[in-house]
Amino acid sequence: MAVGKTPHRVDAFDKVTGAAAYAADCVPDNALHAVVVFTNQPHARLVGVNFEETLDAPGVVAVVTAADVPVNEYGLTLFDQPVFIGLDDTGRSSVPCDVSRWEADHLAVVVAESLIQARKGASLIRSEWEVLSLVSDAVEAQSDEILVHPNSTSNTYHELRIRKGDIAEGLQSADVVIEGTYQLPHQEHAYLQVEAATAWVDEERRVTIETGGQWVHEDQEQIAHALDVAPEEVRVKYAAIGGAFGGKEDMSLQIVMAVTAKKLTNLGITRPVHCNWNREESIVGHHKRHRATVHARLGATADGIITAVEADVLLDAGAYNYTSNKVLGNLHLSVAGAYNVPNARIDSKAIYTHSVPGGAFRGFGGPQGTFVAESQMNKLASELGIDPLEIRRRNALTDLSDGITQAGLPLGVGVHRVLETCAERAPVDAPLIETLPFKSIASLPAATDQLRQGRGYAVGMKNVGFSFGFPEACEADVVFHGDIDAERPTRIELFHSAAEVGQGVHTALIQMVAEAADIDISNVDATYSDTATGGDSGSASASRLTFMAGNSVLGAVEEAEKSWADGARPALGHFRYKPPATEALDPDTGVGQPNFCYGYMAQALDLTVDIGTGHIRVDRVLSIHDVGKAIHPQMLRGQIEGAIAQAHGYALSEQLIVKDGRVLNPRLSQYLIPGIGDVPAKVECLILEGTDPLGPWGARGVSEMPYITYAPAVTAALHDATGVWMNTFPLTPSVVLEHLTAAKN
Amino acid sequence: MARTHITAVVNGDETEFLAEDGTSLLNALRDEVGLTGAKEGCGTGDCGSCSVMIDDKVTTSCLVFAPEANGATILTVEGLADSGQLHPLQQCFLEGAALQCGICTPGFLIAAKALLDKNPDPTETEIRYALAGNLCRCTGYDKIIRAVQEAAREMRGQ
Repeated sequence: MAVGKTPHRVDAFDKVTGAAAYAADCVPDNALHAVVVFTNQPHARLVGVNFEETLDAPGVVAVVTAADVPVNEYGLTLFDQPVFIGLDDTGRSSVPCDVSRWEADHLAVVVAESLIQARKGASLIRSEWEVLSLVSDAVEAQSDEILVHPNSTSNTYHELRIRKGDIAEGLQSADVVIEGTYQLPHQEHAYLQVEAATAWVDEERRVTIETGGQWVHEDQEQIAHALDVAPEEVRVKYAAIGGAFGGKEDMSLQIVMAVTAKKLTNLGITRPVHCNWNREESIVGHHKRHRATVHARLGATADGIITAVEADVLLDAGAYNYTSNKVLGNLHLSVAGAYNVPNARIDSKAIYTHSVPGGAFRGFGGPQGTFVAESQMNKLASELGIDPLEIRRRNALTDLSDGITQAGLPLGVGVHRVLETCAERAPVDAPLIETLPFKSIASLPAATDQLRQGRGYAVGMKNVGFSFGFPEACEADVVFHGDIDAERPTRIELFHSAAEVGQGVHTALIQMVAEAADIDISNVDATYSDTATGGDSGSASASRLTFMAGNSVLGAVEEAEKSWADGARPALGHFRYKPPATEALDPDTGVGQPNFCYGYMAQALDLTVDIGTGHIRVDRVLSIHDVGKAIHPQMLRGQIEGAIAQAHGYALSEQLIVKDGRVLNPRLSQYLIPGIGDVPAKVECLILEGTDPLGPWGARGVSEMPYITYAPAVTAALHDATGVWMNTFPLTPSVVLEHLTAAKN
Repeated sequence: MARTHITAVVNGDETEFLAEDGTSLLNALRDEVGLTGAKEGCGTGDCGSCSVMIDDKVTTSCLVFAPEANGATILTVEGLADSGQLHPLQQCFLEGAALQCGICTPGFLIAAKALLDKNPDPTETEIRYALAGNLCRCTGYDKIIRAVQEAAREMRGQ
């Protein structure tokens, strides 16, 4: 038996010895070096550009520009972004390419013998810009006085609506209405490995990119679109990947490096070309978790039964869509929480601004929506004087519930399961965890008279897999090896494209193959993440790979078993798993079935705050997850602990400063992700296995779930400690102090 | 551009390499010596992914000019294992899944080794202090602390 056990991670040996090769480590000796030149213009029209000095500079081999891209447009879900800004428009782009709308739009790639020479060459580009007016926030952008994309009629480019029951009646019948406006901040992924890629044209004349991303086939498709070639003429493979968290789902270096390799080949240069962003380029150059403003009302009866939910969501998409339209969908649903809501009006809008683009980031809209839903719920419990767990119990979704989109929920709803466990393990009346005196400044004694403790709760649900009718599928190929007269295979090969971003999927896949074929894991070999060898797995995102890839493996093994039984040696099995279809929501009412599976979670969190300085220490987090089935319990705990650390940064310390379309703090010394002394002192993971009817061995996903409930649990605990509600975060000491002082006055 | 000749003991071997002026020790180790275990996570000394030991002190090699290492004794993650036998820290990180994406792992292993060299029986607080210069975005650190504690126990023969 391999599933449910904790074999060593298949990548651990290479990672502890330094042998694991990431994209930045795979630099061939004869490689040229490339620098991507950003426009540095949040909104400006290019009126002149001169590359002559660059081309004459020592060591410079080529300059790659808009003129080199056959179809100069890019976008995972909408083509709204030029690959390069340029004067030369090939005419085959749906977006004008002479206007820079983001400081990190690309002006050129400079290729040279060395990185130093490439940087020097880049500094010699002479460009002239007509600076245009900016619209830097979503509220302002709604007036459409300045259009970010003048070829569309409004900055508000994607809208979703939910109309359920009778909202007027729902609010009227409420004994209490909780109302609040919430400001949700940007967040930077800060994966420790910055973007890097090597590109060349391989012996089969395929433009080949070796990099780190989340979905080789999507990279391939986007590159092929820009190059105007068939996908088979592009090969994408991943080296070891140093974290992604949604930040590597979109293109960074993929397209520009493919264009560069192709141009070099056209120039008769057959050397590979390597590019490695530095940290500043990485933070400036890729999308962020969206900031958003949400105004919400929650109506309930005196005994805490929800009568109405109303919400207006403004999502700042930044200058380009990336996946904002899909993120908006998740935020739109999660703002209603994991509760029965008889009457609802929710209006959600994605709005273009000249800010840093928002895109995928672990939770994908869920953390923003759940912060609102759970803050509202916590305020309601407080207002009515009802135990925050009890009030949730009275409203929790069940298998019989009509969800917010007026469609039955996928079976296996686990809200009650996580709630009951939370109530058992961390009831409201249980004493707060005892801790050492908290010193907000290490060299000073603890100001014990200024310390306050509190506990907060949050509950949530997050979809597993792609939503809203997006074609969802995952392929796997297995090969059984063994003698013709052997009863069972002696060795199995797996070919799969699932991206190992650190979450452990490559280990889990080996386990699942071994379990499905009843063979020892040591007899399973795998080849991963290469479009030349594996089928389309879909992305390492949406907490989907364990569920999707697991099902694909089950199907492929079953196919190979049939072939094996028929006497084939080796016996091949290919399978493309498709979960139940989902639907786009009705544009007027939001009716539809958006998802096929959810994961469920509850958190209880104890913290201490120093009301004199505003410093917060999280003393304990109890994180409860209904995961269906734990395929590898040790790695699963790692996912929970890691998500909590990231969510801790989101809630408490990570403050991206964006002004007039520019990121002002693009360094890890200025943008503070949690260190080993900052994370919660104690994290307890409780794993419940409430078997998902569709999941492989009953498994669901878990990667995003612990993230989603963390920030509202923190603000609830802070309220418990101080009596002050926070409708925004991160809760840096100055922000906390400001709110505590304002409340006192 | 001027290139400086550097001689150092790297992972126990007398090593000679050339580095251009302004080249960091990190880049020299990666590009000239061929040791890519140390990573550049920030280039500004904030993340610790490039940590190596120089004369028994943990150092962020992105902030050291390569010529400064002339005559020094350098240990990188590649030098931790002893003729194929993993160091107890490596073994405990592997067994405890104290890594996910693994980019920060070489730096943590070096910083943890420096701690255990000086303090074979550290408290949890001492471990947190010793590893405070290393950032990890994946694990939440708990498994790293447990792995260091476990390795310390093993190295003390307990």
